[in-house]
Amino acid sequence: MKARLRFSPSIVSKTIISDTIRIFDINFNILRADISPKGGNMLVEISGKQANDSILHMEEQGIQVFPIKKVVKQDEEKCIDCGACVSLCPVNAISIKDDWAVEIDNQTCIGCGFCTFSCPTKAINVME
Amino acid sequence: MKTIDEINDKIKNGDAVVVNAAEMVNIVAENGLKEAAEEVDVVTTGTFGAMCSSGAFLNFGHSDPPIKMNKTFLNNVEVYSGLAAVDAYLGATQPNENPEIGSSYGGAHVIEDLIRGKEVELKVEAYGTDCYPLKKLETNISLEKLNQASMVNPRNCYQNYAVAVNSTDETLYTYMGTLLPNFGNVTYSSAGALSPLINDPYFQTIGLGTRIFLCGAQGYIIGEGTQHATEADRVNGVPVTPSGTLMLKGDMKKMDPEFVRGAAMPKYGPTLYVGAGIPIPILNEDIASRTAISDQEITCRIIDYGVPRRSRPIIRETNYAELKTGKIEIDNMEIPTSPLSSIKKAEEVAELLKKWIQDGEFYLSSPIYKIPSKGCTVKPLEIKKPSLLVKNIESKPAIIVHPSDEVKNVASKLVENNINHLPVVDNKGKLKGIVTSWDVADAVAKGKTLLKDVMTKKVIIARENEPVDVIARRIDKYNISGLPIVDEEDNLKGMITAEDISRLIGENQNKKGGE
Repeated sequence: MKARLRFSPSIVSKTIISDTIRIFDINFNILRADISPKGGNMLVEISGKQANDSILHMEEQGIQVFPIKKVVKQDEEKCIDCGACVSLCPVNAISIKDDWAVEIDNQTCIGCGFCTFSCPTKAINVME
Repeated sequence: MKTIDEINDKIKNGDAVVVNAAEMVNIVAENGLKEAAEEVDVVTTGTFGAMCSSGAFLNFGHSDPPIKMNKTFLNNVEVYSGLAAVDAYLGATQPNENPEIGSSYGGAHVIEDLIRGKEVELKVEAYGTDCYPLKKLETNISLEKLNQASMVNPRNCYQNYAVAVNSTDETLYTYMGTLLPNFGNVTYSSAGALSPLINDPYFQTIGLGTRIFLCGAQGYIIGEGTQHATEADRVNGVPVTPSGTLMLKGDMKKMDPEFVRGAAMPKYGPTLYVGAGIPIPILNEDIASRTAISDQEITCRIIDYGVPRRSRPIIRETNYAELKTGKIEIDNMEIPTSPLSSIKKAEEVAELLKKWIQDGEFYLSSPIYKIPSKGCTVKPLEIKKPSLLVKNIESKPAIIVHPSDEVKNVASKLVENNINHLPVVDNKGKLKGIVTSWDVADAVAKGKTLLKDVMTKKVIIARENEPVDVIARRIDKYNISGLPIVDEEDNLKGMITAEDISRLIGENQNKKGGE
C-alpha cells in the first residue's frame, strides 16, 4: 500500500522507520522524502505480511499515516489527451491507450510532480 | 470525375459517402484506388494542436461618452487596439500583465473563457479626443455582449512539423514542450495521417473560401497562412519539414469550448489549442490517392532543439507510425515519445465533421483561388547588425588559478583583483573548474586547504562561436555574474561577465542614438 507519513519535529531524530522495518520485516520503499528539523513528509510504499501491524506501530510512535489511493488526480474536464506528459514520467506511470486517451497509473506514480508542471492545461494535480 | 456541386447534391439527398482520412487508408488498401475514388465523396481530416499564431478581432461597441481605446486589457491581458476606436485584436500568446501569473493565464485563456460564455473584465486607457472624450473605462463584457468576435488565425494547420529532441545536459522548456536532457524524450506535433494539409499536399482542393470545421463551428480558409512554404523536400508528395500553412476565420459566438483550449507551455508562454478539420472532396483518383496516405508514409525530421539557432541540426528522419508507437531509437537508445497535439481530439474533429456532412448540416464550398503549391519560400530576418559572437568581444586575459593551489592564495588573488570568481585550469590551459568567493568561504568553514577540493567542477561555459545574446540569456537563466570562454578543445580563452555584456548593449544603444 501507498501512504503519506507525517513527522512532527519532536520525532524527526528518532529511528522509528528502521526500527519498524526490523521488527515487522516489511518492504519499505521510500518514493519521496522531505525531512528537516521542522518535521517531515514521506511518500512510501509498504508491503509484507505484517504491513498493517507496522502501520499501527508507526502511529503509536507518533507518525501520522495517511493511506493514499491516488497520488495524482487527472482532471477530466481540463485534460485534452495531448500526451505531453507521457514521455516525461520517470517511472512510466502515464500511458496512451488504444483510443489515444491518456491514463495515469496511480499504483506506479511517485508523485514527483514533473508532469504537473509540464501539463499545458494544468490538468494533473498532486494529491496532498 | 466528380464536381463539388454533384457532391453537394448527394449531401442534400443524404447519399454522400463520407469517411475520415484514417478510414480512407484502409478503404483504398482493400478496394483499390479506382473503386475508392468512385465510391467515396468526401474525406474528412482533423487536428487539435497548439497553434500559437491565433487570435480574435473583437468589437466592443461604443460607450457613452465614447472612448478611443488606446491601451486595452481583458482579464489583465493586453489586446492590441491600435485599430479605430473600439476594435481590438486579442492574440493567443500574449502573457498576463501580472508577471506572477505570466503565461498561466494569457490571451489564449481569455479566448477560451469568452467561448465558454464567461464574463471578462475590460479595462481601457485612452488619451481623449474631441470626438472620444472618455479617458478611462472599466466594465465587464461577455461574448454575447460583443458586436463581433471573429477568430482570425494568421498561421494554423502546419503541413507537417519538426520533431524535437534535446542533446544538451539540461532540461529545456520550449514551444515543443519540456525536453529532457541527453535525448531524454522526443516530442512531435502532428495528427499524421489525419492532418488536414498532409491529405491534400499540393492544395488541389483547398483555397480561399473553403468551408471548414474550426473550433466546433463552421469556419473558412481565408488564404495561405504566414510563413507558407512549398519548396521543401517531399516524400510521397508530403513535405518533410514544416511547409504549407493556412489563415483561418470563424465566428467565436458559434464555437464549442470542447474544441478550443487555452494552454501554456511551461516557461515558454500561453498558446491556443485549436481544433480544425478540412473536408476534402474526392474529385478524382489523384486526390483520392493523396488522402489514403498512412502514418508510415509521412516522413518527418527529428531536430536538436538544444541548439538555439535558426538552423538546428537534424538528428534523423522518422515517420508518424514510428513516433506513435511511443518509442523511438536514436544512437541505439530507446527514447519515449510524446505527441503534443491531441490525436484523440483530432479523431473527434474528423468524426464530427463527417457527421455534419452526413446529416446535411455542412456543404462543401469551391475555393475562389487555390492555396499556392509552388514558388513560396520563407525568408529569414536579417539583422542589420549581425549577431555579435563571443570571440568578437575584447576580453581581458583571464586571471587563472590551478587545482593544486592553496585556498588562501586563491583568496588573496580574489581580493587583489577585486573579483568574485576565477577559472581553474590545468597545466595545459584546459578549463577544470571555477572558484567563487563563496567556495573560498565554504573551504575556510570546513577547514579545507586545497583548491581542487572546493572548486566547482561543473562549469557553465561560453563557446567562442556562440552569439553574445545566447550568453546573456544563459547568465540570466543561471543567475551568475560571469562565465569562462573556451575553445573547441576546452582551452580557456578568457572570461565574459554580465558587465561586459551590458557595456556592449550600452554601446549599441549609444550608436543608434547617434546615427
